[in-house]
Order: sequence, then structure tokens, then C-alpha cells
Amino acid sequence: MRKTKAIYLVLTVMLVTLALSACGGNNKENASPSSNASESAPASSSAANPSVEPKKDPVTLTFLIPNTDDVTPYNTIFAEFQKQTGNKVEVQALPGGDYDNMLKTRFSTGDFPDVFLMQPGTKQYVKLRAEETLTEWSKEAGVWDNVIESIADFQKTPEGLAYGVPFGKTGQMGVFYNKDVFTKAGVEPPKNYADLIEIAKKIKAAGVTPFYEAVKEGWPTQIFYLSGWVSQVDQAIGAEGVQKLNVNQMKLSDIAELKDLFVKAKELKDLDLFQKNALSGTYDEMQNEFGDGKIGMIFMLDGVLPQLEKKFGKEFLTDKVGFFPFPSATDAGTAMITPPNQLMVPSKAKHLEQAKELVKFMISQESINTFYASQPGIPIFKGATSEMYPVQQTVQGFIDAGKSTVNVQNRLTASFLDLGKTLQNFHIDGDIDKAINEMAKNYIKDGNSKRLTGFE
Amino acid sequence: MKRLKYPLYFSFPAIAVFLLFFITPTIIGVYYSFTDWNINADAIKFIGLDNYVELFKEPRLKQAFINTIIFAAAVTVLQNVTGIALALILNEKLKSRNLLRMIFFMPYVIAPLVIGYIFRAIYHPGHGIVNQFLDLIGLDFMMQDWLNDPKYALFTIIITDIWRVAGFSMVVYLAGLQFIPKDLIESSSIDGANYWSRFRHIVFPLLAPAFTVNVLLAMIGSMKVFEIVMVLTEGGPGYTTEVFYTLIRTTFSSGEMGYATAVNMLLFAFVSLVGVPVLMMMKKREVEM
Repeated sequence: MRKTKAIYLVLTVMLVTLALSACGGNNKENASPSSNASESAPASSSAANPSVEPKKDPVTLTFLIPNTDDVTPYNTIFAEFQKQTGNKVEVQALPGGDYDNMLKTRFSTGDFPDVFLMQPGTKQYVKLRAEETLTEWSKEAGVWDNVIESIADFQKTPEGLAYGVPFGKTGQMGVFYNKDVFTKAGVEPPKNYADLIEIAKKIKAAGVTPFYEAVKEGWPTQIFYLSGWVSQVDQAIGAEGVQKLNVNQMKLSDIAELKDLFVKAKELKDLDLFQKNALSGTYDEMQNEFGDGKIGMIFMLDGVLPQLEKKFGKEFLTDKVGFFPFPSATDAGTAMITPPNQLMVPSKAKHLEQAKELVKFMISQESINTFYASQPGIPIFKGATSEMYPVQQTVQGFIDAGKSTVNVQNRLTASFLDLGKTLQNFHIDGDIDKAINEMAKNYIKDGNSKRLTGFE
Repeated sequence: MKRLKYPLYFSFPAIAVFLLFFITPTIIGVYYSFTDWNINADAIKFIGLDNYVELFKEPRLKQAFINTIIFAAAVTVLQNVTGIALALILNEKLKSRNLLRMIFFMPYVIAPLVIGYIFRAIYHPGHGIVNQFLDLIGLDFMMQDWLNDPKYALFTIIITDIWRVAGFSMVVYLAGLQFIPKDLIESSSIDGANYWSRFRHIVFPLLAPAFTVNVLLAMIGSMKVFEIVMVLTEGGPGYTTEVFYTLIRTTFSSGEMGYATAVNMLLFAFVSLVGVPVLMMMKKREVEM
């Protein structure tokens, strides 16, 4: 009897260990065939092409990108890269909304991509724990020579370290308008904020909806506040104020100029200047209505331009779409620019050397021009050729005149967490104090959860 | 009759698996709800009840709590009423009985996410079928922006979910109806009982076990509602249709794992607090019958 008992005990233990090892073992088994596959596939392709003398065994690099970004230019660049080095690049497009978290999850399980595209700026360094996980670029030769100064400065920490290489174009946020509608209503871009309201009223009188707000989707509602920030909040609090916010020495709810933006947004609603059913407004419908001339103005970012081109053609974009910044009380305002995305390489990437080689290849003159040919915009590299839309030339004009500022969200380390939701709610109840307190609270919450100094 | 006796240790493997895969994760979960576990930080610190204190200060929790209760109550009641009604009708000798049973059960087989996407199109304020239909039959004053108007959003989700789950209740009740002895029904009709009193005094009491199962499943299921809300409104507009699980999702996706686990524990406690007494009450009622 005792013997059988012992046998059952042993069996039980074996079963448990088996179950446990099955969990752990899976990883290994999964990892090995994929790494085999990645090595064997290019090996066979180089064998088929004996004229190229491979320096090393060609590898397959993985490149992560949010699926909200257009991959066409990247594919062209990578095809060229493969032709020149034999190394293949596999593009993995992850869902845009969950991109950061999926990336973090992959990092924490040790599943590193070789290169990935990331939103701009140094605030991402905290999120990704840059010093432990990412390659540092500031001393790397051939990376910074062509990047324009303001962007290179923005990319580096106060200590001069850079964990990402800027890539792409600077963007813009502000008010895009339909020129036909403006002609119909007989108005010109505004000279100050009061002027903007007058224009909107005239457009409404001409039978067109002045503004469209995609409230259902949440995120578009933020642009009013972010572009308003550079024109009116920055003037009031200055760089010093932003630094104070960064270490939580100032509260968002104490900034009168920010609160004023909520007042202004409510005024637009009270004057009935938004489309009917603003709560069900979507980004897609906004584009359609704007293109059809049913809408006069949209608070938007330049990401909408390629979408509009796809729907209404290039002529529409060059001839019919105009841009102006969020006007301040006294002048036409400051143009809000958004820095380019950045390329990052995990320090534990499987093919670190080739990955760095790829990044350098991507910022070479030819690759950059390939990129701008497909996604024209305000270039961040000296000597790059990029055909700009008139709306982008407008912004370039503001940049040249020294009237441009980088989006505050890129300058602050903590984020305006859930701002879209807060603003959605604000659209429903119109409670200014509640909205701004919630914004302030969520900002501190995000700083706290990122363990930033001053927030704990 | 001699009862076979098995040694206790026959159950050890099962107990081991149960401990390992069910009890341990639950206990670990409880532990994490007392920590500041966060995707942005390396160290996990024990912080006692801080997460829960924070949670109760959160106005969104209150809203999520109220919405969850409204949703659960409405769905539980209406799902069972519809389920019994459908079961009674489809228990009659109808020609297309089997086809109809299948049709009513079908929504339950479709993934809630897919249903959500379909209904998003159906409820579209402009070209959705609902508004188009109302317009067609001259009830255009009843046209609403069903999913984006804070007044109607939760109600719309409830209706959609009932459409989805009523078929499941129907199947359980149909099974229950099969167990009711035919002679009871026959003798009652000889005694002159009409349909309603037959239902009240014979059919419904004998359906008690099916009723217990259905009410309990509906209650627990609807308190844990997630997909259908997520895909129809994402808890919006604003926070008007926020339920427990959409709140958990938001906190998880902002990386606050410890906090999100605390929300989850709260839901667990809440479901148990409501579920266990209801189960006990209904079990007692079954015995008395």
C-alpha cells in the first residue's frame, strides 16, 4: 500500500513538472524554427545569385511599423537595401492603437525586432527604458551630418544622448480649410482669434458648416487644444513653464490660458459652429465632407493630407486646401510643428550590426528622396528633394519666420493621458472645471505611472 | 448494494492541476492587486490597499459600476423573459419548428465582436437600417443617433445583447420543457385549466432548475460584459457606457497592471456577492417545489 502511494506521489510530481516544462519548452521550440527559417531563406536566395559575393551570410531583419503608417516607401527602400547587401527586411505592421504596448510586451519577453519606427522625441526613451534596451547614436559617424539643427537638438537628451535617429518629415497641426468654401463665403484666413469666429459665422451664413469635429473617435478633438497651446499657452508660460510641468511643479488646471481654450471650445459649440451630430463624427466622414465642400475648416494634423489625396486627387490638395495656425488673440498665431518619427534599434537585436547598417542606409540621400517622393512633406534632412503641398509651404514660411513651435506633447515627458475621452465627455456635459481637472489629474497619473521625478 | 470505494489519492493529479492552473493564478492575482506593478517600472512594490483607495476615488468607477448593474439587471430579466417566450412557442408543434429554433440560436454562435461590427452599421445615424426603416414607415421623428447619443447608447447595447443571448436561454428552457411529464399537462387541461394558469402553476414551477441555471448564467455573463460594449461604443460617448471590463482595459493599456488587477478583484468580489446568495436562494426554492 505504501509503495503504491509513493508511486502516485511520483506520478503527480512528474505530471506537474511535465506541465511546467511544457510551458517553458514551447518558447525554445518556437524560437528555433523561426531563427532557422530566417537564416535559411536568404541563404538559399544568395546561393541562387552567385554573382554577388556575400561578405557574411545574408540575414532577414525585422522592421516594426504601426499599420497606420503607409509602408510603400519603406518597401521600396528595403528592396534596394536587399539588392545592395543581400539582407532581406521583413516588415511587420502592428495595430496602430496598441503599437506601444505590443512593442513593450515584445521587449519584455525578449522578442526584439531589429529596427522599429517610433513616435518622435525623447519622451519615448522613458517608455522604452532606453538606456537598458536601445542603441545610442549620438557618437555614430554619418548619422547626424545631414539632419537640420532644430530636429537634431530636439532628438537629444539634455546630456546629449540620442537613442533614436529622426526619420521622415516634420508635420503640422492647425486649421486646414477648403478654399472654395472661403471664396463662397468671401472670407480670408483670420488675423486673430476673434477674426476666426467671424469667419466661421460668415461661412455658416453662406450655408456651409464651419467646423467638423470627429468626436466619436476621440483623438481628433485634441488638436484644437494642442495647436491652441503653442499659440496661446506657450506665450504665457514659456519654456520655463513647460519645464515646470515636466517635473510637476505646475498644475495644468492652474494655467488660465489653457482653461481659456476650454472656454473657447465651448463657445464654438454654443454658437453651433460644429456639424450636426458632432458626437457621431468620424475621421473618415470628416474627410469626405471636407472634400465635398460641406465643411469649411477642420482642426487637424497633416496625416489627413495623403488620405485626402487618395480620395480627391492631387489637384484638390494643391488647389483647394489651405492652412493657417490656431490664431492667438493678437496675431495669426504660431505654427505648431510635429517632429518626425524616429528609427530605433534594440541593443539586443538579433542582427545588431546589420540593423545599424540598415538605419544608415535609410537615411542616405537616395533613400530619403525615395521616401519624400512617396510622402512629400517638410524635410528634416539638408539637401533632400521634397515636393511640398501649398499647405506645407505655408508652414515652412512660419518656420522660416521663426513663428513655429514643436507640439507640447512631444516636449513633455508625461502624456495627456486619455485626453480624447475627457474631451468627448466635455462635448457632452460642457463642464469646463471638470474637464480641466480631469486633464490635470490624468497628466499626474501618467507621470506617476512612468515613475518620473516630481510625480511620485 | 456494495459501494465501490476508491483511495483518496486517486484525486491527487486532478487536485494538483487544479491548484497549479486555477488556484495559484488567482492567489497571485490577489497579491498583485496590492502592488504598484506597472509596465514602466522594474520593481514591484507592495502598497497595501492604495489601489483600492485610489479606485474608490475614481468617478469613472462609479459610472462603470452603475452601468454594469443597469446592464446586468436589464439583460438578465429580458433575456429570460424572451427565452421562456421563445421556448414556449417553439415547443408547440409548428411546421418550421427546427428551422426557427436554429435561427433564434444562431446569434449566440456568432462572436460578439462580429455582432458588434454588424450592428454598428445597423445603428448608423445616416444610412443604418434602423433609421432608414423608421424613415420609411413615417416614424422619422423617432430616428436617433443610437450609439452616440448618451441618452440611448446603453439602451441600444442592451437590446443588441438580448438579441444575441436570448437564443441560448431558449435552448435551456426547451430542454427543461422536455422534462415536464405530458400527463401532468393533459390532466390539468381535463381539469379545465387554461393556458395561463397551466403555465403559472405547472410549467413554470417545473422549469425551476432551468430557471436557476439561466438566471445565474445570464447574471454572471452580463456583469462580465466586454466585447459588445467595446466594439459598439468603446465605453463612450465620454464615459456613458463604461462598464467594469472597459475600465480594466483602459487601465491595463496604460500599463497600470496592479491597478487593473485591483479593478478585476473588485469585479470578482461583486459577482460573488451577488451570485452566491442568488444561487442559494433559488436552490432553496427548487427543493421546496
